[in-house]
Amino acid sequence: MNLRRWFVTGFFTLLVIVAYVVGYQVTEIDPVKLFSSLGNSQKILNDLIHPDLFTRATQDTTLDVVFPVPCGSAQPAQLPNSGPRIVPNVECANPGDVITVKGFDMAPNNDVKILWLLPSGNALFSELARTDASGNFTAQVEVRPITVATQGIPTHLQAETPVPVGGWVPSQALIDVINNIMVTIFMALLATTAGTIIAAPISFLAARNIMGRGWMGTTVYTVVRAILNITRSYDSLVLATVFALWVGFGAFAGVLALTIVTVASLGKLFSEAVESIDAGPIEAVAATGANPVEVVRFAVVPQVIPDFISFIIYHWDINVRISTILGFVGGGGIGFYLSQRINVLEYQKAGTAIWAIVLVVWAMDFLSAEVRKRYT
Amino acid sequence: MLKVEHLTKVYPNGTVALKDVSFTVNDGEFLVIIGLSGSGKSTLLRCINRLIDPTEGRILLDDADVTKASSGDLRQLRRHIGMVFQQFNLVKRSSVMTNVLSGRLGYVNPFLSLAGIWSRADRDRALKALDRVGIKDKAYERADALSGGQQQRVGIARTLMQEPRLILADEPVASLDPVLSHSILQYLEQLNKEGITVLCSLHFLDLVHRYATRVIALKDGVKVFEGLPKEINRAKFKEIYGEEAQEVRATTVEEG
Repeated sequence: MNLRRWFVTGFFTLLVIVAYVVGYQVTEIDPVKLFSSLGNSQKILNDLIHPDLFTRATQDTTLDVVFPVPCGSAQPAQLPNSGPRIVPNVECANPGDVITVKGFDMAPNNDVKILWLLPSGNALFSELARTDASGNFTAQVEVRPITVATQGIPTHLQAETPVPVGGWVPSQALIDVINNIMVTIFMALLATTAGTIIAAPISFLAARNIMGRGWMGTTVYTVVRAILNITRSYDSLVLATVFALWVGFGAFAGVLALTIVTVASLGKLFSEAVESIDAGPIEAVAATGANPVEVVRFAVVPQVIPDFISFIIYHWDINVRISTILGFVGGGGIGFYLSQRINVLEYQKAGTAIWAIVLVVWAMDFLSAEVRKRYT
Repeated sequence: MLKVEHLTKVYPNGTVALKDVSFTVNDGEFLVIIGLSGSGKSTLLRCINRLIDPTEGRILLDDADVTKASSGDLRQLRRHIGMVFQQFNLVKRSSVMTNVLSGRLGYVNPFLSLAGIWSRADRDRALKALDRVGIKDKAYERADALSGGQQQRVGIARTLMQEPRLILADEPVASLDPVLSHSILQYLEQLNKEGITVLCSLHFLDLVHRYATRVIALKDGVKVFEGLPKEINRAKFKEIYGEEAQEVRATTVEEG
């Protein structure tokens, strides 16, 4: 007997070990990758945590500074120390020297064409530099003999580059993200409303204490419960995929999918709230000669309203979460925007979307908790 | 006015709550039903307005057969039968006024009542009913803001809205303290004197002696006594409540 128990225990232990070993292999668990891949994905991760939020309009500008070659052939320039500007490390130089030119406060991540404006009025291209994320650059420039001043006319050192003008404005990405997240919030609002309108009457049909124990009541109860249970087993992503194929990609498909999910979920929550009410008032109102609908209206509805409101707000919160991802399968809204930005490798814009989702989900969560706390 | 004939109720789980109970209630009586908890008092009262469907037997209200009434006819019959409950059965979150008005549902147009619209006449009637039980000033408070005794008075006011000919009272004072018990029963007694027949189940024998015009006793769903309150002597008491029973008095207060 004891031996058999040992055998059974050993067998099941072995089964569990096998399950984990196989599971570890098929899911390709590789903790080292978490760190070894960090280098490759650093740029992407960096973009994601530096969302594209604000931008400034730019204008192609030529920045100019007088640069006497050789020294003493002309008055050196007075260098400005604010605004978009180029600054050589020396005031003047002799032919053949290599000077370092720095540029400040230009449009970030843009090409800078460095050239010489010769005394003859011709331009001589010298170097191509690129501004960093702060809008600055540094370049080595060779002072060629052709740049020597003639007849007291000095050569100018010039930089052609876009320069920011005007104040900061929301970037296109931020505007798009705000538009799309509004779509998502409204998707959730419409789906929650439609779901509530459908689920509220249905929930009474799925409540044992309302339907009674007669054969008709039992039949309706069983059928409605079964429908709710079957509906609940379909995931929102599956439903959104189906509706996207049916009515086309976009927010409408998302609203349809969310509505069904909401009906299934609220239908169950509501019916449980109805089932947990005090039966006394039902008896009392029925005893006055009221018809069944009046009994529900006067004895049941007032008792379940706080629960219903609490569930509705809670589900709006859930629907906002779900609808953020429905876009990935064609449901419209912020999810659609996010998936598109990832597909075209615009990670900074994707970052903007992700931050917006985090913010909105957090805000909804907070609001729904506050409202429910106050109301019930 | 009310005739109960061979009433039997067997619950689906096999419990026999009432076994062949017959009795008659005359116009203007204050008939009290006594018996231990579980003896079938509540079932009996609920069979009369068919909150519970009896298994066998007949109930005649005047000449109408309650047991055979269709659901429409039953609602017509229920309008004339008020009911007062041990747990008051008010909708706690609704106002006192709404609770009282709900007593009028058997009379009003369902479309208006569902929209929450009540005629001026019904509102006045509700205020008058509340005035009769002395809590007109509480009309617009939430029902659960009231004390137990006040809630039961709302229950009575709700019943008055039905303009009932018969009031069924299921242990109306079992959740109240003794002094309040008298105050509630005096309201019922007053209504009884104005011509409403009362059928009431009670626990305490001294209340029975004080208010009942006639008594029936149930034991395990069987009628074991029918007669005047003063006929319940020591032997009868033991028969109804069992050998070990001791009489407990609700209160020594005689008149409120």
